[in-house]
Amino acid sequence: VGKKVQAIYLWWHKPVIDKELLQSLPNLKVIANSGVGMDHLDLKLVASFGVKIANAPRAVSSSTADTGMALLLASARRLLEVHNISISSSMEYREADILGVKVAGATLGIIGMGSIGYKIALRAKAFEMNVLYHNRTRRKVQEEQAVGATYCKKIDSLLQQADFVMLVVSLTPQTHKLIGKRELELMKPTATLINISRGAVIDQEALVAALRTGVIRAAALDVTSPEPLPRDHPLLKLKNVIITPHLGIKTDKATYMITEEAVENILAALNGLPLPSEVYPS
Amino acid sequence: MWYHKPAINEELLQSLPNLKVVASAGVGIDHLDLKLLSRYGVKVSNTPFIVSTDTADMGMALLLASSRRLVEGNNLNVSPDTEYFPADWLGVEVSGATIGIVGMGTIGYKVAERAKAFEMKILYHNRNQRKKEEESAVGAIYCKKIDDLLQQSDFVLLTVNLTPQTHKLIGKRELELMKPTATLINVSRGLVVDQDALVEALQNKVIKAAALDVTYPEPLPRDHPLLKLKNVIITPHIGSATKKTRWVMMEEMAESIEAGLEGLPIPREVL
Repeated sequence: VGKKVQAIYLWWHKPVIDKELLQSLPNLKVIANSGVGMDHLDLKLVASFGVKIANAPRAVSSSTADTGMALLLASARRLLEVHNISISSSMEYREADILGVKVAGATLGIIGMGSIGYKIALRAKAFEMNVLYHNRTRRKVQEEQAVGATYCKKIDSLLQQADFVMLVVSLTPQTHKLIGKRELELMKPTATLINISRGAVIDQEALVAALRTGVIRAAALDVTSPEPLPRDHPLLKLKNVIITPHLGIKTDKATYMITEEAVENILAALNGLPLPSEVYPS
Repeated sequence: MWYHKPAINEELLQSLPNLKVVASAGVGIDHLDLKLLSRYGVKVSNTPFIVSTDTADMGMALLLASSRRLVEGNNLNVSPDTEYFPADWLGVEVSGATIGIVGMGTIGYKVAERAKAFEMKILYHNRNQRKKEEESAVGAIYCKKIDDLLQQSDFVLLTVNLTPQTHKLIGKRELELMKPTATLINVSRGLVVDQDALVEALQNKVIKAAALDVTYPEPLPRDHPLLKLKNVIITPHIGSATKKTRWVMMEEMAESIEAGLEGLPIPREVL
């Protein structure tokens, strides 16, 4: 059977692509990834077997940006907390003291201004937010002006000014534990951290400590390390945390588009044509 | 006046002969009998514009939370029984979907501005059509008949004020006109929706889901079916509940009261 396999469509990191698997599939030509993140793949290893790799960058950006905004708003307005109060069977009812944070006029700091980060900036602008961003490279002036975004060359500057910090970087050795104790302490005590990138971008232990002691106000995480977290993990018990099960791209439309992109790449590889979204080991 | 308390009736007004002004928090005045107050020579004020942005934000927050199943997702993630995340657990895409805004006043228009950034197709229904420039600025298409809006929308968002004309505006007929994949979002008043019809529609999958910041009454009785439906998000009327906005509302109410007591023109007077 192994000899027949020419293409793999990787769904949620399964199957695990290791040396053993690659050796058992001598006619494998292409691995198409469902999503844009490639941190779970050993690109050099795969390339060494002469296998091409593709991801699905176009399909994910809007859905992921939407998830980022959904988490920002849900956290700012304490949506989950108050929903639970609203449906609770207890007769206790608190009215006027359930106050949230006003989003209009607040400052959003976007860390990682790729396609997804930029779409977030577009959305934030419509919510009358002030947008700062930190990126490896600065965007063009016209791009900045279109969303009213101000570049922060130093991440510290962004962290100190933002009311909401949103992580939209890809996971690389440079972004691993990008947000640790030092960075959390630079943030405002009234600030919210939102993560839609990868769990490993945050030093999770440092985050738990920061949330417990009020170093930052709250967190909203679509990604953790691992997924799911162990059932006794402190993050699951904190009142000021929203955690969603990596639903960044989990919509009917996005799933369809991702599969379409993957099929395009697979067919191209099998026909010896250039791949629309090939990924190369750096 | 805060969250409709105290109730202003004839008894109360008779017992307060020197009452000059009632300052109501928020923009809605459906809880006030304006004719009655006028007979007693009492002036009324509200806080109309300051609440608009937060209420529009709340509408979008509910839309996003509902479509992406944030409440269910969070519950799944913290449940002691969860071992893995199911691969076929999906929400509805917001970007590129169609939103139907019922009531295009200040709040409705702010919703449209936000929806535009999500590349949504925007339909709206209003007593009057907005100016062309206002429509173009957000790419909103006017639906003279509410039916057209209901039939085409993936998300129906209610931002009308409560009047005899909008009472039970959304009933069995309207819910049946909506797509079975559509979500109803209400940030206006509970009475704009026929609640019993809504419960039935949700139970029978006539519509997909609902997200409500307002109900009738508030709060709902603890055994109400709406509290038990999995496809419903309910928030306790917090449309304007942010520190900054509440602060300004208080300032505005105090200002109106002071003016009323000094016999000066009252800012934000409701006539």
